[in-house]
Amino acid sequence: MTGKIRKGKDIMEYKAEEKERIPIISIENVSMKFRIAEEKVASLKEFFIRTLEGKNTYREFYALKEVSFSVYPGEVIGIIGTNGSGKSTLLKLVAGALFPSEGKILVDQKKVQLLTLGTGFDLELTGRENVYLNGAIIGYTKEYIDEKYEEIVKFAELEGFMEEKVKNFSSGMVSRLGFAIATARETPEILILDEVLSVGDMFFRKKSEQRIQQMIHSGSTVLIVSHSADVIVKNCSRAVWIEKGVVRQIGEPKEVCKAYKNMGE
Amino acid sequence: MKMDQIKQLRQYGFVIRQLVSREIKRKYTRSYLGILWSVLNPLMSMVVISMVFSTMFQRVENYSIYFLTGNIIWQLFTGATTSAMAALVDNKSLLIKVKLPKVIFPLSRVGAAFVNFLYTFVAYLLMLMVFRIKPSVMMLLFPIAALFLLLFCIGISYLLSIVYVFFGDIKHLYSVLLTLWMYCSAIFYPIDSTPEMVQRLIAENPIYNYISCVRKCMIYQTMPSAGELGRMVFWGIGCYAVGRFVFIRLQNQIMQEL
Repeated sequence: MTGKIRKGKDIMEYKAEEKERIPIISIENVSMKFRIAEEKVASLKEFFIRTLEGKNTYREFYALKEVSFSVYPGEVIGIIGTNGSGKSTLLKLVAGALFPSEGKILVDQKKVQLLTLGTGFDLELTGRENVYLNGAIIGYTKEYIDEKYEEIVKFAELEGFMEEKVKNFSSGMVSRLGFAIATARETPEILILDEVLSVGDMFFRKKSEQRIQQMIHSGSTVLIVSHSADVIVKNCSRAVWIEKGVVRQIGEPKEVCKAYKNMGE
Repeated sequence: MKMDQIKQLRQYGFVIRQLVSREIKRKYTRSYLGILWSVLNPLMSMVVISMVFSTMFQRVENYSIYFLTGNIIWQLFTGATTSAMAALVDNKSLLIKVKLPKVIFPLSRVGAAFVNFLYTFVAYLLMLMVFRIKPSVMMLLFPIAALFLLLFCIGISYLLSIVYVFFGDIKHLYSVLLTLWMYCSAIFYPIDSTPEMVQRLIAENPIYNYISCVRKCMIYQTMPSAGELGRMVFWGIGCYAVGRFVFIRLQNQIMQEL
Protein backbone atom coordinates (compact mmCIF):
# COMPACT_ATOMS: atom_id res chain seq x y z
CA MET A 1 0.00 0.00 0.00
CA THR A 2 2.75 2.43 0.90
CA GLY A 3 4.15 2.05 -2.56
CA LYS A 4 0.97 3.34 -4.14
CA ILE A 5 0.69 6.47 -2.06
CA ARG A 6 4.31 7.35 -2.54
CA LYS A 7 4.10 6.86 -6.24
CA GLY A 8 1.09 9.12 -6.83
CA LYS A 9 2.68 11.99 -5.04
CA ASP A 10 6.08 11.58 -6.57
CA ILE A 11 5.01 11.62 -10.17
CA MET A 12 3.89 15.21 -9.95
CA GLU A 13 7.08 16.19 -8.24
CA TYR A 14 9.20 14.52 -10.85
CA LYS A 15 7.55 16.38 -13.67
CA ALA A 16 8.23 19.67 -11.99
CA GLU A 17 11.76 18.91 -10.97
CA GLU A 18 12.98 16.89 -13.88
CA LYS A 19 14.52 19.80 -15.70
CA GLU A 20 16.66 20.97 -12.83
CA ARG A 21 17.95 17.67 -11.59
CA ILE A 22 21.11 15.97 -12.72
CA PRO A 23 20.47 12.40 -13.82
CA ILE A 24 22.27 9.70 -11.87
CA ILE A 25 22.14 7.33 -14.81
CA SER A 26 22.03 8.67 -18.31
CA ILE A 27 21.60 6.33 -21.24
CA GLU A 28 22.25 7.96 -24.59
CA ASN A 29 21.47 6.27 -27.89
CA VAL A 30 22.67 2.93 -26.67
CA SER A 31 22.70 0.01 -29.06
CA MET A 32 23.93 -3.46 -28.31
CA LYS A 33 24.82 -5.60 -31.25
CA PHE A 34 25.45 -9.30 -31.10
CA ARG A 35 26.93 -11.26 -33.92
CA ILE A 36 25.22 -14.52 -34.58
CA ALA A 37 26.73 -16.93 -37.04
CA GLU A 38 24.16 -17.78 -39.67
CA GLU A 39 25.14 -21.41 -39.44
CA LYS A 40 26.91 -22.41 -36.29
CA VAL A 41 30.46 -23.33 -37.12
CA ALA A 42 31.27 -26.23 -34.89
CA SER A 43 34.88 -26.85 -35.67
CA LEU A 44 38.10 -25.31 -36.75
CA LYS A 45 38.20 -27.36 -39.91
CA GLU A 46 34.75 -26.23 -40.88
CA PHE A 47 35.67 -22.65 -40.10
CA PHE A 48 38.62 -22.74 -42.46
CA ILE A 49 36.64 -24.34 -45.21
CA ARG A 50 33.91 -21.77 -44.88
CA THR A 51 36.30 -18.86 -44.73
CA LEU A 52 37.97 -20.10 -47.89
CA GLU A 53 34.63 -20.43 -49.60
CA GLY A 54 33.64 -17.01 -48.30
CA LYS A 55 30.62 -18.51 -46.65
CA ASN A 56 31.24 -17.38 -43.13
CA THR A 57 28.30 -15.05 -42.85
CA TYR A 58 27.06 -13.46 -39.70
CA ARG A 59 23.68 -12.06 -38.95
CA GLU A 60 23.77 -8.89 -36.91
CA PHE A 61 21.28 -8.89 -34.16
CA TYR A 62 20.39 -5.85 -32.13
CA ALA A 63 19.49 -6.71 -28.55
CA LEU A 64 19.00 -2.99 -27.97
CA LYS A 65 18.58 -0.29 -30.53
CA GLU A 66 19.07 3.41 -29.82
CA VAL A 67 17.76 3.34 -26.32
CA SER A 68 17.84 6.65 -24.46
CA PHE A 69 16.51 7.68 -21.11
CA SER A 70 17.69 9.20 -17.88
CA VAL A 71 17.19 8.16 -14.30
CA TYR A 72 17.15 10.73 -11.54
CA PRO A 73 18.23 10.22 -7.93
CA GLY A 74 15.58 8.61 -5.77
CA GLU A 75 13.52 7.25 -8.63
CA VAL A 76 12.27 3.69 -8.79
CA ILE A 77 12.27 2.72 -12.43
CA GLY A 78 10.52 -0.39 -13.62
CA ILE A 79 11.64 -1.97 -16.86
CA ILE A 80 9.05 -4.20 -18.43
CA GLY A 81 8.98 -6.28 -21.58
CA THR A 82 8.50 -9.81 -22.84
CA ASN A 83 11.21 -12.45 -22.62
CA GLY A 84 14.14 -11.64 -24.86
CA SER A 85 13.17 -8.01 -25.31
CA GLY A 86 16.53 -6.75 -24.13
CA LYS A 87 15.70 -5.90 -20.51
CA SER A 88 18.46 -7.91 -18.96
CA THR A 89 20.96 -6.75 -21.56
CA LEU A 90 20.16 -3.20 -20.54
CA LEU A 91 20.76 -3.99 -16.88
CA LYS A 92 24.06 -5.67 -17.63
CA LEU A 93 25.13 -2.60 -19.55
CA VAL A 94 24.25 -0.31 -16.66
CA ALA A 95 26.00 -2.63 -14.21
CA GLY A 96 29.11 -2.61 -16.37
CA ALA A 97 29.21 -6.31 -17.14
CA LEU A 98 28.81 -5.57 -20.86
CA PHE A 99 29.97 -2.66 -22.99
CA PRO A 100 27.57 -1.05 -25.46
CA SER A 101 28.47 -1.37 -29.15
CA GLU A 102 27.19 2.14 -29.79
CA GLY A 103 26.15 5.04 -27.60
CA LYS A 104 27.06 6.02 -24.11
CA ILE A 105 26.04 5.16 -20.60
CA LEU A 106 26.94 7.67 -17.96
CA VAL A 107 26.85 6.20 -14.50
CA ASP A 108 29.21 5.87 -11.59
CA GLN A 109 29.89 2.12 -11.74
CA LYS A 110 31.10 2.04 -8.18
CA LYS A 111 27.67 2.96 -6.87
CA VAL A 112 25.88 0.30 -8.85
CA GLN A 113 24.94 -3.05 -7.35
CA LEU A 114 23.31 -5.65 -9.51
CA LEU A 115 21.22 -7.97 -7.42
CA THR A 116 20.67 -11.36 -8.96
CA LEU A 117 19.82 -14.56 -7.22
CA GLY A 118 22.15 -17.44 -6.72
CA THR A 119 24.93 -16.21 -8.97
CA GLY A 120 27.43 -19.00 -8.98
CA PHE A 121 25.65 -21.36 -6.63
CA ASP A 122 27.26 -24.75 -6.70
CA LEU A 123 24.82 -27.57 -6.04
CA GLU A 124 27.52 -29.96 -4.89
CA LEU A 125 28.53 -27.71 -2.02
CA THR A 126 26.78 -27.25 1.29
CA GLY A 127 24.60 -24.29 2.14
CA ARG A 128 27.32 -22.76 4.28
CA GLU A 129 29.98 -23.13 1.60
CA ASN A 130 27.65 -21.54 -0.91
CA VAL A 131 27.08 -18.52 1.30
CA TYR A 132 30.81 -17.89 1.23
CA LEU A 133 31.27 -18.67 -2.45
CA ASN A 134 28.28 -16.63 -3.56
CA GLY A 135 29.10 -13.82 -1.16
CA ALA A 136 32.68 -13.61 -2.42
CA ILE A 137 31.53 -13.46 -6.01
CA ILE A 138 29.09 -10.63 -5.43
CA GLY A 139 31.71 -8.66 -3.55
CA TYR A 140 31.48 -9.33 0.19
CA THR A 141 34.67 -9.65 2.19
CA LYS A 142 35.25 -12.67 4.38
CA GLU A 143 34.85 -10.62 7.54
CA TYR A 144 31.56 -9.23 6.30
CA ILE A 145 30.16 -12.69 5.60
CA ASP A 146 31.38 -13.98 8.97
CA GLU A 147 29.54 -11.15 10.61
CA LYS A 148 26.32 -11.48 8.64
CA TYR A 149 26.22 -15.26 8.42
CA GLU A 150 23.71 -15.87 11.21
CA GLU A 151 21.49 -13.13 9.91
CA ILE A 152 21.48 -14.56 6.39
CA VAL A 153 20.58 -18.03 7.62
CA LYS A 154 17.85 -16.65 9.80
CA PHE A 155 16.33 -14.56 7.07
CA ALA A 156 16.35 -17.50 4.66
CA GLU A 157 14.74 -19.65 7.40
CA LEU A 158 17.31 -22.37 6.80
CA GLU A 159 18.53 -23.00 10.35
CA GLY A 160 19.70 -26.58 10.60
CA PHE A 161 20.00 -27.08 6.84
CA MET A 162 23.22 -25.23 6.22
CA GLU A 163 25.48 -28.28 6.36
CA GLU A 164 23.34 -30.05 3.76
CA LYS A 165 24.34 -30.00 0.12
CA VAL A 166 22.39 -27.46 -1.85
CA LYS A 167 21.38 -30.09 -4.40
CA ASN A 168 19.15 -31.55 -1.68
CA PHE A 169 17.40 -28.21 -1.18
CA SER A 170 14.02 -27.50 -2.69
CA SER A 171 14.04 -24.79 -5.34
CA GLY A 172 12.27 -22.46 -2.94
CA MET A 173 14.99 -22.97 -0.36
CA VAL A 174 17.68 -22.20 -2.91
CA SER A 175 16.07 -18.96 -3.98
CA ARG A 176 15.43 -17.96 -0.37
CA LEU A 177 19.09 -18.43 0.39
CA GLY A 178 20.02 -16.52 -2.74
CA PHE A 179 17.76 -13.65 -1.79
CA ALA A 180 19.08 -13.52 1.77
CA ILE A 181 22.70 -13.39 0.62
CA ALA A 182 22.04 -10.82 -2.08
CA THR A 183 20.20 -8.44 0.23
CA ALA A 184 22.51 -8.77 3.23
CA ARG A 185 24.55 -5.81 2.11
CA GLU A 186 24.21 -2.17 3.01
CA THR A 187 21.89 -0.51 0.56
CA PRO A 188 23.92 0.86 -2.34
CA GLU A 189 23.19 4.15 -4.06
CA ILE A 190 21.99 2.51 -7.22
CA LEU A 191 20.30 -0.84 -6.85
CA ILE A 192 19.43 -3.04 -9.79
CA LEU A 193 16.99 -5.87 -9.24
CA ASP A 194 16.80 -8.55 -11.90
CA GLU A 195 13.62 -10.58 -11.36
CA VAL A 196 14.15 -11.02 -7.65
CA LEU A 197 10.70 -10.08 -6.46
CA SER A 198 8.86 -13.32 -6.86
CA VAL A 199 10.75 -15.73 -4.71
CA GLY A 200 9.60 -18.50 -2.43
CA ASP A 201 6.16 -19.08 -0.97
CA MET A 202 3.54 -16.48 -0.12
CA PHE A 203 4.98 -15.74 3.31
CA PHE A 204 8.52 -15.40 2.19
CA ARG A 205 7.44 -13.22 -0.70
CA LYS A 206 5.86 -10.82 1.73
CA LYS A 207 9.02 -10.71 3.76
CA SER A 208 11.22 -10.20 0.73
CA GLU A 209 9.03 -7.45 -0.64
CA GLN A 210 9.29 -5.73 2.69
CA ARG A 211 13.03 -5.86 2.55
CA ILE A 212 13.08 -4.49 -0.97
CA GLN A 213 10.71 -1.74 0.11
CA GLN A 214 13.11 -0.92 2.91
CA MET A 215 15.93 -0.63 0.45
CA ILE A 216 13.83 1.55 -1.83
CA HIS A 217 12.83 3.84 1.01
CA SER A 218 16.35 4.26 2.28
CA GLY A 219 16.83 6.63 -0.60
CA SER A 220 18.62 4.64 -3.22
CA THR A 221 17.80 4.81 -6.87
CA VAL A 222 16.34 1.53 -8.02
CA LEU A 223 16.00 -0.22 -11.36
CA ILE A 224 13.64 -3.16 -11.35
CA VAL A 225 13.37 -5.58 -14.22
CA SER A 226 10.33 -7.76 -14.42
CA HIS A 227 7.90 -9.21 -16.88
CA SER A 228 5.19 -8.99 -14.29
CA ALA A 229 3.16 -5.80 -14.58
CA ASP A 230 1.94 -6.11 -10.97
CA VAL A 231 5.42 -5.85 -9.55
CA ILE A 232 6.08 -2.73 -11.59
CA VAL A 233 2.83 -0.97 -10.73
CA LYS A 234 3.24 -1.77 -7.07
CA ASN A 235 6.79 -0.56 -6.62
CA CYS A 236 7.81 1.92 -9.28
CA SER A 237 7.53 5.61 -9.83
CA ARG A 238 8.19 5.41 -13.55
CA ALA A 239 8.13 2.60 -16.06
CA VAL A 240 10.01 1.87 -19.25
CA TRP A 241 8.59 -0.61 -21.70
CA ILE A 242 11.10 -2.23 -24.01
CA GLU A 243 10.05 -4.45 -26.87
CA LYS A 244 12.47 -6.13 -29.30
CA GLY A 245 15.24 -3.82 -28.17
CA VAL A 246 13.34 -0.61 -28.78
CA VAL A 247 11.80 1.65 -26.14
CA ARG A 248 8.06 1.61 -26.76
CA GLN A 249 6.88 3.82 -23.95
CA ILE A 250 8.14 5.67 -20.90
CA GLY A 251 5.89 7.13 -18.25
CA GLU A 252 3.46 6.50 -15.47
CA PRO A 253 3.64 2.81 -14.50
CA LYS A 254 -0.10 2.25 -14.69
CA GLU A 255 -0.39 3.57 -18.21
CA VAL A 256 2.71 1.83 -19.46
CA CYS A 257 1.61 -1.47 -17.97
CA LYS A 258 -1.83 -1.07 -19.46
CA ALA A 259 -0.34 -0.56 -22.90
CA TYR A 260 1.92 -3.53 -22.32
CA LYS A 261 -1.00 -5.73 -21.36
CA ASN A 262 -3.02 -4.55 -24.34
CA MET A 263 -0.31 -5.68 -26.68
CA GLY A 264 -0.80 -9.24 -25.53
CA GLU A 265 -4.48 -9.19 -26.31
CA MET B 1 43.03 5.25 -3.93
CA LYS B 2 45.91 3.08 -2.76
CA MET B 3 43.85 1.70 0.09
CA ASP B 4 40.99 0.98 -2.27
CA GLN B 5 43.24 -0.99 -4.55
CA ILE B 6 44.63 -3.05 -1.73
CA LYS B 7 41.14 -3.76 -0.49
CA GLN B 8 40.09 -4.78 -3.97
CA LEU B 9 43.07 -7.09 -4.40
CA ARG B 10 42.29 -8.70 -1.06
CA GLN B 11 38.74 -9.23 -2.20
CA TYR B 12 39.92 -10.88 -5.45
CA GLY B 13 42.20 -13.08 -3.39
CA PHE B 14 39.20 -14.14 -1.34
CA VAL B 15 37.19 -14.90 -4.48
CA ILE B 16 40.03 -17.01 -5.88
CA ARG B 17 40.37 -18.93 -2.62
CA GLN B 18 36.65 -19.64 -2.65
CA LEU B 19 36.71 -20.80 -6.26
CA VAL B 20 39.76 -22.99 -5.66
CA SER B 21 38.19 -24.62 -2.65
CA ARG B 22 35.05 -25.22 -4.68
CA GLU B 23 37.01 -27.02 -7.41
CA ILE B 24 38.72 -29.21 -4.86
CA LYS B 25 35.59 -29.99 -2.86
CA ARG B 26 33.73 -30.83 -6.05
CA LYS B 27 36.37 -33.28 -7.10
CA TYR B 28 36.02 -35.37 -3.98
CA THR B 29 32.37 -34.77 -3.31
CA ARG B 30 31.27 -38.39 -3.62
CA SER B 31 34.09 -40.12 -1.81
CA TYR B 32 34.46 -40.96 1.87
CA LEU B 33 38.15 -40.27 2.11
CA GLY B 34 37.74 -36.97 0.33
CA ILE B 35 40.82 -34.83 0.15
CA LEU B 36 42.97 -37.71 1.40
CA TRP B 37 42.75 -39.12 -2.11
CA SER B 38 44.93 -36.28 -3.27
CA VAL B 39 47.76 -37.95 -1.39
CA LEU B 40 46.63 -41.58 -1.65
CA ASN B 41 46.03 -41.60 -5.36
CA PRO B 42 49.52 -40.48 -6.41
CA LEU B 43 51.05 -42.63 -3.70
CA MET B 44 49.31 -45.75 -4.94
CA SER B 45 50.05 -45.13 -8.58
CA MET B 46 53.64 -44.43 -7.64
CA VAL B 47 53.87 -47.82 -5.96
CA VAL B 48 52.38 -49.54 -9.01
CA ILE B 49 54.68 -47.76 -11.41
CA SER B 50 57.73 -48.53 -9.31
CA MET B 51 56.83 -52.19 -9.30
CA VAL B 52 56.22 -52.33 -13.04
CA PHE B 53 59.08 -50.24 -14.33
CA SER B 54 61.95 -50.76 -11.97
CA THR B 55 62.94 -53.99 -13.68
CA MET B 56 62.50 -52.60 -17.17
CA PHE B 57 64.97 -49.77 -17.00
CA GLN B 58 67.55 -51.12 -14.63
CA ARG B 59 70.20 -49.10 -16.37
CA VAL B 60 68.84 -45.94 -14.76
CA GLU B 61 69.67 -45.61 -11.13
CA ASN B 62 66.53 -45.19 -9.01
CA TYR B 63 64.29 -45.42 -12.02
CA SER B 64 61.02 -45.07 -10.07
CA ILE B 65 62.03 -41.79 -8.57
CA TYR B 66 63.34 -40.66 -11.92
CA PHE B 67 59.96 -41.33 -13.44
CA LEU B 68 57.92 -39.95 -10.51
CA THR B 69 59.75 -36.65 -10.51
CA GLY B 70 59.02 -36.11 -14.17
CA ASN B 71 55.49 -37.31 -13.75
CA ILE B 72 54.42 -34.94 -10.95
CA ILE B 73 55.71 -31.97 -12.95
CA TRP B 74 53.92 -33.21 -16.03
CA GLN B 75 50.70 -33.82 -14.13
CA LEU B 76 50.73 -30.31 -12.73
CA PHE B 77 51.18 -28.86 -16.17
CA THR B 78 48.49 -30.89 -17.90
CA GLY B 79 46.08 -30.70 -14.96
CA ALA B 80 46.35 -26.94 -14.75
CA THR B 81 46.18 -26.16 -18.44
CA THR B 82 43.43 -28.57 -19.45
CA SER B 83 41.12 -27.51 -16.64
CA ALA B 84 41.86 -23.81 -17.07
CA MET B 85 41.13 -24.06 -20.77
CA ALA B 86 37.40 -24.33 -20.14
CA ALA B 87 37.37 -21.82 -17.28
CA LEU B 88 35.80 -18.96 -19.20
CA VAL B 89 33.26 -21.08 -21.03
CA ASP B 90 32.18 -22.97 -17.91
CA ASN B 91 31.68 -19.77 -15.96
CA LYS B 92 29.82 -18.00 -18.73
CA SER B 93 26.78 -17.19 -16.63
CA LEU B 94 28.96 -15.70 -13.92
CA LEU B 95 31.02 -13.68 -16.35
CA ILE B 96 28.09 -11.77 -17.76
CA LYS B 97 26.59 -11.04 -14.39
CA VAL B 98 29.44 -10.07 -12.18
CA LYS B 99 32.03 -7.36 -12.35
CA LEU B 100 35.06 -9.49 -11.64
CA PRO B 101 38.32 -9.43 -13.54
CA LYS B 102 38.12 -12.30 -15.98
CA VAL B 103 41.61 -13.55 -15.17
CA ILE B 104 40.20 -14.82 -11.89
CA PHE B 105 38.58 -17.81 -13.56
CA PRO B 106 41.57 -19.40 -15.29
CA LEU B 107 43.70 -18.42 -12.28
CA SER B 108 41.50 -20.28 -9.84
CA ARG B 109 41.59 -23.42 -12.01
CA VAL B 110 45.38 -23.30 -12.07
CA GLY B 111 45.26 -22.66 -8.34
CA ALA B 112 43.21 -25.79 -7.78
CA ALA B 113 45.66 -27.84 -9.84
CA PHE B 114 48.52 -26.39 -7.82
CA VAL B 115 46.91 -27.29 -4.51
CA ASN B 116 46.50 -30.80 -5.84
CA PHE B 117 50.15 -30.76 -6.80
CA LEU B 118 51.09 -29.86 -3.23
CA TYR B 119 49.24 -32.91 -1.94
CA THR B 120 50.94 -35.04 -4.56
CA PHE B 121 54.19 -33.57 -3.40
CA VAL B 122 53.57 -34.96 0.07
CA ALA B 123 53.24 -38.40 -1.48
CA TYR B 124 56.38 -37.75 -3.48
CA LEU B 125 58.32 -36.85 -0.34
CA LEU B 126 57.21 -40.13 1.21
CA MET B 127 58.51 -41.99 -1.83
CA LEU B 128 61.82 -40.13 -1.58
CA MET B 129 62.14 -41.44 1.96
CA VAL B 130 61.25 -44.97 0.89
CA PHE B 131 64.00 -44.85 -1.71
CA ARG B 132 66.39 -43.40 0.83
CA ILE B 133 67.18 -40.20 -0.96
CA LYS B 134 68.96 -38.06 1.61
CA PRO B 135 67.72 -34.53 2.16
CA SER B 136 70.08 -31.87 0.89
CA VAL B 137 70.37 -28.11 0.62
CA MET B 138 69.84 -28.38 -3.13
CA MET B 139 66.24 -29.31 -2.47
CA LEU B 140 65.61 -25.72 -1.50
CA LEU B 141 65.75 -24.98 -5.22
CA PHE B 142 62.53 -26.90 -5.68
CA PRO B 143 60.11 -24.15 -4.59
CA ILE B 144 61.82 -21.73 -6.97
CA ALA B 145 61.48 -24.14 -9.87
CA ALA B 146 57.86 -24.75 -8.90
CA LEU B 147 57.16 -21.02 -8.88
CA PHE B 148 58.43 -20.52 -12.42
CA LEU B 149 56.65 -23.65 -13.57
CA LEU B 150 53.47 -22.19 -12.10
CA LEU B 151 53.98 -18.95 -14.03
CA PHE B 152 54.52 -21.00 -17.17
CA CYS B 153 51.25 -22.88 -16.55
CA ILE B 154 49.35 -19.63 -15.93
CA GLY B 155 50.61 -18.14 -19.19
CA ILE B 156 49.60 -21.19 -21.23
CA SER B 157 46.25 -21.33 -19.41
CA TYR B 158 45.45 -17.72 -20.27
CA LEU B 159 46.11 -18.40 -23.92
CA LEU B 160 44.16 -21.64 -24.02
CA SER B 161 41.13 -20.27 -22.17
CA ILE B 162 40.84 -17.43 -24.68
CA VAL B 163 41.32 -19.66 -27.71
CA TYR B 164 38.77 -22.13 -26.35
CA VAL B 165 36.08 -19.44 -26.40
CA PHE B 166 36.53 -18.99 -30.13
CA PHE B 167 37.26 -22.59 -31.13
CA GLY B 168 35.97 -25.47 -29.10
CA ASP B 169 38.12 -27.76 -31.22
CA ILE B 170 41.26 -26.70 -29.48
CA LYS B 171 40.34 -29.10 -26.70
CA HIS B 172 40.89 -32.11 -28.93
CA LEU B 173 43.85 -30.65 -30.71
CA TYR B 174 45.47 -29.86 -27.39
CA SER B 175 45.06 -33.37 -26.05
CA VAL B 176 46.84 -34.72 -29.14
CA LEU B 177 49.53 -32.10 -28.75
CA LEU B 178 49.92 -33.08 -25.10
CA THR B 179 50.56 -36.70 -26.04
CA LEU B 180 53.27 -35.63 -28.43
CA TRP B 181 54.66 -33.21 -25.89
CA MET B 182 54.75 -35.90 -23.23
CA TYR B 183 56.86 -38.21 -25.42
CA CYS B 184 59.23 -35.32 -26.02
CA SER B 185 59.70 -34.61 -22.33
CA ALA B 186 61.79 -37.60 -21.33
CA ILE B 187 59.48 -38.48 -18.49
CA PHE B 188 59.84 -42.26 -18.55
CA TYR B 189 63.03 -42.78 -20.52
CA PRO B 190 66.54 -41.51 -19.86
CA ILE B 191 67.40 -38.72 -22.23
CA ASP B 192 70.79 -40.16 -23.20
CA SER B 193 69.10 -43.21 -24.70
CA THR B 194 68.01 -41.06 -27.64
CA PRO B 195 70.04 -39.91 -30.67
CA GLU B 196 72.03 -36.76 -30.19
CA MET B 197 69.83 -34.66 -32.43
CA VAL B 198 66.71 -35.61 -30.53
CA GLN B 199 68.51 -34.84 -27.31
CA ARG B 200 69.21 -31.33 -28.43
CA LEU B 201 65.58 -30.92 -29.41
CA ILE B 202 64.32 -32.19 -26.07
CA ALA B 203 66.65 -29.84 -24.25
CA GLU B 204 64.77 -26.94 -25.82
CA ASN B 205 61.45 -28.23 -24.47
CA PRO B 206 60.44 -25.95 -21.58
CA ILE B 207 58.69 -28.74 -19.70
CA TYR B 208 61.71 -30.98 -19.96
CA ASN B 209 63.79 -28.11 -18.71
CA TYR B 210 61.67 -27.88 -15.53
CA ILE B 211 61.73 -31.63 -15.10
CA SER B 212 65.47 -31.74 -15.52
CA CYS B 213 66.03 -28.93 -13.02
CA VAL B 214 63.85 -30.62 -10.44
CA ARG B 215 65.52 -33.99 -11.00
CA LYS B 216 68.90 -32.46 -10.48
CA CYS B 217 68.04 -30.71 -7.27
CA MET B 218 65.89 -33.48 -5.80
CA ILE B 219 67.55 -36.75 -6.89
CA TYR B 220 71.11 -36.01 -7.90
CA GLN B 221 71.48 -33.02 -5.62
CA THR B 222 73.55 -31.06 -8.03
CA MET B 223 73.12 -27.51 -9.19
CA PRO B 224 71.33 -27.23 -12.56
CA SER B 225 73.50 -25.55 -15.17
CA ALA B 226 73.28 -21.80 -15.66
CA GLY B 227 71.62 -22.34 -19.03
CA GLU B 228 68.94 -24.49 -17.48
CA LEU B 229 68.28 -22.00 -14.71
CA GLY B 230 68.14 -19.18 -17.24
CA ARG B 231 65.64 -21.02 -19.41
CA MET B 232 63.59 -21.87 -16.34
CA VAL B 233 63.20 -18.17 -15.53
CA PHE B 234 62.82 -17.17 -19.17
CA TRP B 235 60.00 -19.59 -19.94
CA GLY B 236 58.16 -18.81 -16.73
CA ILE B 237 58.20 -15.05 -17.00
CA GLY B 238 58.03 -14.92 -20.80
CA CYS B 239 55.07 -17.21 -21.06
CA TYR B 240 53.23 -15.45 -18.28
CA ALA B 241 53.80 -12.06 -19.88
CA VAL B 242 52.64 -13.18 -23.32
CA GLY B 243 49.60 -14.96 -21.91
CA ARG B 244 48.58 -12.01 -19.82
CA PHE B 245 49.08 -9.56 -22.69
CA VAL B 246 46.90 -11.58 -25.05
CA PHE B 247 44.26 -12.18 -22.40
CA ILE B 248 43.92 -8.51 -21.50
CA ARG B 249 43.83 -7.54 -25.17
CA LEU B 250 41.08 -9.98 -26.08
CA GLN B 251 38.98 -10.19 -22.94
CA ASN B 252 36.34 -7.75 -24.09
CA GLN B 253 35.89 -9.51 -27.39
CA ILE B 254 35.07 -12.79 -25.75
CA MET B 255 31.92 -11.39 -24.16
CA GLN B 256 30.28 -11.29 -27.57
CA GLU B 257 31.30 -14.83 -28.38
CA LEU B 258 30.13 -16.42 -25.18
